[in-house]
Amino acid sequence: MKRHLLLPVVGLIVLVVSVIFYFNQSTNKNNSLDEVSNLIFETKDFYSNKLIDEDTLGEFYIVNFFASWCKPCLLEHPLLMEMKKKGIKIIGINFRDDEENFKEWINEHGNPFEYILRDDGTIAYEMGLIGVPETFFIVNKMTQKKIQGPLFYEDVEKYL
Amino acid sequence: MISYLGNSFIYISLILTIFFYINLLKRIIPSTTFSLKLIYFINLIPFSLLVYAFSISDFTLLNVVENSYIDDPMFYKVTSAWGSHEGSILLWVFLINLFGGFFLYKNQTVEIHKNILFISTLFILYVVISSNPFTYVEANENVLGLGLNPILQHYLFVIHPPTLFLGYIGLIIPFVISAHMLINKNFSEKLFNEMLIWSKISWFFLTGGIVLGSYWAYSELGWGGWWFWDPVENISLIPWLLNTALIHSLQVSIKSNQLKLWSLNLGLYCFIASVFGTFLVRSNLIVSVHSFATDPLRGLFLIIIITYLLAMTVRLNIKSISNFNEDSFNLISRESFLLLNNIFFICSALVVFIGTVYPLFSEMILKTSVSVGAPYYNFAFNLLLAPLILFMAFAPQINWGKHEKKDKQIPYIIIFSLLICLVSYYFSNNFYFTLSIFITVPLFLKSILVLKNNFKKNISFYSQWLAHLSIGFFIIAAVYTEQFDYEENLLFEKGSTNEIKLQNNKTAIIKNIKNEKFQNYQRISVDLLISDGQKVKELSPSKNIYQPSGQVTSEVSTTNKLFSQYYATISTIESNKVGINLVYKPFINLLWLSAIMLVFSIFLSVVKKR
Amino acid sequence: MKMSKSIYKLIIPFLIIHISVISFAGVNELSDYYKTIRCLVCEGQSIQESDTEFAINIKEQIQKKYSSGISIEEINQELIKIYGQEISFNPPKNHILLWGTPLIVLIITFIFIRNKIKIFKRE
Repeated sequence: MKRHLLLPVVGLIVLVVSVIFYFNQSTNKNNSLDEVSNLIFETKDFYSNKLIDEDTLGEFYIVNFFASWCKPCLLEHPLLMEMKKKGIKIIGINFRDDEENFKEWINEHGNPFEYILRDDGTIAYEMGLIGVPETFFIVNKMTQKKIQGPLFYEDVEKYL
Repeated sequence: MISYLGNSFIYISLILTIFFYINLLKRIIPSTTFSLKLIYFINLIPFSLLVYAFSISDFTLLNVVENSYIDDPMFYKVTSAWGSHEGSILLWVFLINLFGGFFLYKNQTVEIHKNILFISTLFILYVVISSNPFTYVEANENVLGLGLNPILQHYLFVIHPPTLFLGYIGLIIPFVISAHMLINKNFSEKLFNEMLIWSKISWFFLTGGIVLGSYWAYSELGWGGWWFWDPVENISLIPWLLNTALIHSLQVSIKSNQLKLWSLNLGLYCFIASVFGTFLVRSNLIVSVHSFATDPLRGLFLIIIITYLLAMTVRLNIKSISNFNEDSFNLISRESFLLLNNIFFICSALVVFIGTVYPLFSEMILKTSVSVGAPYYNFAFNLLLAPLILFMAFAPQINWGKHEKKDKQIPYIIIFSLLICLVSYYFSNNFYFTLSIFITVPLFLKSILVLKNNFKKNISFYSQWLAHLSIGFFIIAAVYTEQFDYEENLLFEKGSTNEIKLQNNKTAIIKNIKNEKFQNYQRISVDLLISDGQKVKELSPSKNIYQPSGQVTSEVSTTNKLFSQYYATISTIESNKVGINLVYKPFINLLWLSAIMLVFSIFLSVVKKR
Repeated sequence: MKMSKSIYKLIIPFLIIHISVISFAGVNELSDYYKTIRCLVCEGQSIQESDTEFAINIKEQIQKKYSSGISIEEINQELIKIYGQEISFNPPKNHILLWGTPLIVLIITFIFIRNKIKIFKRE
């Protein structure tokens, strides 16, 4: 009888020990997405060539990553324009883009952004960007919500 | 029309199968072989019809509309048939019946064929319930089809999935034979021999399929890697490892009448592993590059099939496990080394399995998401496969039953191999490479020594050595490419930079950029030269833009230098600059060569039986 | 002793081939590290093997940090802090059930065989 029990018992002990070990050692899950990267306030705006004025920006603002080569960005573009009309401040971050293409894109489709920062990927890295478009909703310098991929009407309904 | 025909053949087959089972009980028609032939034949028809529908672009089938494009070349139109989920499940049905049909020529035991038919019927039901490719849509002149995924438009795609499927489904024969033998307690040598042949055939296709898939990823996807430990690759590796174990343990069962129950139980799990693999891919439980659209019903139905097969297997296991005690042999004998081989292969299969499902487990139970990849598998495989390959040098020399004479060469070989290790560690300073040298050098040495003294042995002897030797070459090549490849990102700017100096003192020169138009895509290619002063190598990586989706794929360009390869892809292409990703892959060609040798070796051993 | 002589004959060509092979081996610490980072947009591939914008950017950022003298260890910690554990193909060692598996299955199989098959006996 003992031999029959050996295998399941060994298996069970291994499972229990490993789960206990795991919970003892496991580090708390990082919520590092929370704080907005300081780089945003250290980079100069493309058009005005000035740093972002944190006082006029207010508590709530949106950070939106976009690029002229990104087709889904055009999908959310009308929504961003709409939000600008409602007075919501959007910081646009132009992710890894050609300067000429970017200017052309803004001229063609309109500029929904309060500030535009051109980024070679450093800000994107610090913010944990996965792909463009990506939108961060920020309150008191903390990310409240993050939407990967284009925004839809439902996502921003309450701001319109 | 085809929709109607396809559906009716599926239902005819279901009705005939029911009659077949009633006939088994009541004995109305005496010849069951004929009815088997008929059912197998009818089950081949639906898939053939689907292929036909794709070839003529019959847009009254929803499946054709979704997966094919009117201007695709004929070649890809046909292969689109198994590009979709529905088509590939129908291909399963087709192949199960094809194997059943071939097996019928060798063995007419109704008890065995009954099980094949049962499994085939389960899959046909699956087709009918949740993934019927013969769904009808109203024909419309404007419909041109949505097109086959451009990533799949490659000549290897034509042969890779069917080859892999042949390998997966070939395992059904060992499965049904094992089940039959375990149920009837009839351990005839004839059946064991048949099992060996069929598992070898399946191994041939499985290895071929895996290698083709790997080569496809290497040459088409533009990732420069040949193995990613992607879930789909892993689940094709599990049946492969188990099947390898099965081939070895069957030798023991046939030659020395031992480990019979062991082999039979293993035979059951090989097929389960391949069905489970299909389940994991199709249900999208685990995300991978090969992901298909999901439908909960599909996953559920596959779960039912697996649960049924697994329940059947476990029941047979429990029945037979108490009889395992009958086996006994010496510690130093061929049997015990083959058993050792089995242990390592089965453990590797388990490790791959756990590595594949662990992210899922971690997400659900531990509430943290992790990714399991190369570092883990490298660690596990070093632990499990290193001793296996070391034994591979000596074990084939050990006698069956009882080993009398001592091998005097072993200490010399080990010492020599350690010496080489020291040298390679001194030069390369790389642990993995040194380890791979340590485990493979004895194999190479031993091969030379043994083959020099045994010219007269038969083909099976050579096929065995060839297989083992190619594994040795494979290990060396794989470790070498992985450890010593290097990558450079070259950025050429229009007007200013046309030449860039590489790490190894060669120069990369960009020549011109071409823009060509083809039947269903547009190609932008860059001509790149790599020169070392005297010799010049030419590369032309390109980007293809496919119609109608507008999807862009990167086409790889390679140039060989003996066993090594330069591998170039376009990373960015803009009006004023071109980015090229250049990877130097040492010994990659040796890897493909060894894979071909491996497949050829099993081909030899199957053919010589005829 | 005849056998051992023929082995020595093999040693010299082996050594020559061997040294010539490893002498043109270069080691790239960064590209090895890239292989352990998952490309989050391509599911299943490492950034070393991917040519997506995401992978290219991460590679560039890592390279920038690496050449400014930050060690790979620190880069890795920062990367995991930003993107979460999923980005690393190398799960932490406290996942005993994962890392211990190879040994555990080996031990269990040996126990099973010891109990079920009487092979390890000498006549």
